[in-house]
Amino acid sequence: SVTEIRSGFTAIKANIQARDPVRTLSILSYPHSLHKVQSSGRCCIAHNLFNFYVDKVFKHCKTEDSYINRKISSIANSFLSMKRKLGQCHEENKCMCGQESTEKFKQILANYEGLNVTSAAIKSLGELDILLDWMEKSR
Amino acid sequence: DALLPAPQNISILSTNMKHFLTWSPVIIQRETVRYSVEFQGEYERDYANESWIPICECSFITATVCNITEDISATVAYKLRVRADVGTRRSEWGTLKGFFNRITTSLTPPVMKVTADGYHLLVELEDMGPAFQFCVLHWKKGQESRMQQKVVKEVDSVVHLDTMEAGTDYCVKAQTYVEVINRSSDFSQTQCVRTQGGRSVWLV
Amino acid sequence: SGELSCSLPNPRNVHFESVNMKNVLRWSAPEGTGGEVLYKVKYLVYGVGKWIRKPECRNINRTWCDLSSETSDYEEQYYASVKAFLNGMCSDWIETTRFNPLTDTKIDPPMVSVSSTERSISITLTAPEKWRSPEGESVSLLQVYPGLQYNVSVLNKKTKKRWFFSVSNNTLIVPRLEPGTAYCVSAEIYVTTPLLHSGFSKEYCIATLKDK
Repeated sequence: SVTEIRSGFTAIKANIQARDPVRTLSILSYPHSLHKVQSSGRCCIAHNLFNFYVDKVFKHCKTEDSYINRKISSIANSFLSMKRKLGQCHEENKCMCGQESTEKFKQILANYEGLNVTSAAIKSLGELDILLDWMEKSR
Repeated sequence: DALLPAPQNISILSTNMKHFLTWSPVIIQRETVRYSVEFQGEYERDYANESWIPICECSFITATVCNITEDISATVAYKLRVRADVGTRRSEWGTLKGFFNRITTSLTPPVMKVTADGYHLLVELEDMGPAFQFCVLHWKKGQESRMQQKVVKEVDSVVHLDTMEAGTDYCVKAQTYVEVINRSSDFSQTQCVRTQGGRSVWLV
Repeated sequence: SGELSCSLPNPRNVHFESVNMKNVLRWSAPEGTGGEVLYKVKYLVYGVGKWIRKPECRNINRTWCDLSSETSDYEEQYYASVKAFLNGMCSDWIETTRFNPLTDTKIDPPMVSVSSTERSISITLTAPEKWRSPEGESVSLLQVYPGLQYNVSVLNKKTKKRWFFSVSNNTLIVPRLEPGTAYCVSAEIYVTTPLLHSGFSKEYCIATLKDK
């Protein structure tokens, strides 16, 4: 659940964000905040972002700290079960992707590819609260 | 050195979202056997090359039980395994048969205490952890068709349920609800109280 | 001024202290120094390309700087940084951790007002306002945290029994009380996600009127 993801992230937030030295770049917020996405495109962005984190991000976040790794596993498995739920919406065509949300997700991927994979993955993981704040606000 | 036998009879005890892995001890005369536990979630199986993650609180322990609650923190299928060590000798992994998903945890009815303070119906509920909410039903005795429901999330106190009429019996029962697995326990025993103009009397 | 050597010890414990999204940067003086040190402050919106100097906090000798106005958009996240100067020497720029106003602020308890009749008390709760600039628009924290709820505690001073209510709207009437009895009320705010608790307010006591 979102609450469990939030508590897992809170436990590692300071550690993960400290590993990201680049202050002037954001994966999710550049050039525009997620909050600017129109409500019609939110399900599509959420669906794509869950896939993005599961497919691309978590696997490149292994650290030397076993506690951090266990928390990342907990978040990744929670994402997996939420990805499944969002997938059902997608299959029932309740999650249409308009041009704006497609563009926004493309920008996120471009931001991600602009860094080396480990830096991009750690930065994306450190921005999980941006995603969670946006999801909770749109609930 | 003869190969150390892998731990056997590996099983899960899971009640009210508290999950424990247990196994039979490996007996080696005059030796202390130590055990280590690892877990693998669905994410590790499908996206991270079937990797296993050690539980450091259960690394090289002599006990034959491990609290895995903290790591079973998603509603997906988990695999678990244990191995034994004696000095430099190490066993193969013993793996739990099948998977464990927390959705199968057994949920027990909540411990509940109903009281009345004057004309006010109150309930105290046992704190069962952050995953738990409580569905509390209350009604005038004999009017079971007009039950009222209250969802209680914070239970570290005496919760006010309703205001009562004098000289009337009121009954209460409660069940737990765990949102992350979308399941509820059975209802607790019904407890009834009566107000007699400001004094309350227990009626079970 | 001549070339500065940055060998001054660094400011310590540089962090945001935030209550109801009044976001103040605070720090401690470098080891072994005191009031004679001067400081500069800059801040940055995370993900946006440049650091911005705070003119009102340039060459100050106090160890705080109010950045509420600069960090008022709680949909963004921020860093801030402090540099110390003394006798031609300076320290490094020392940064905060990433600051998220939405999750990192503390919330004050609600305002509680109580009135009574012979047999009931009625309680009105007001959530604190989000910090705003003098010309800014008033925003309740209720609008910032839609899932905001109240826990209300009612203590019967005669029986010493305390009851709790959990409400989401801001009024609560407790009927069928004992006349001529003192009741003390306190309340807290809690938000489930992100998880925030304000802690309970002080107690507001009132007596029900005596039976005529």
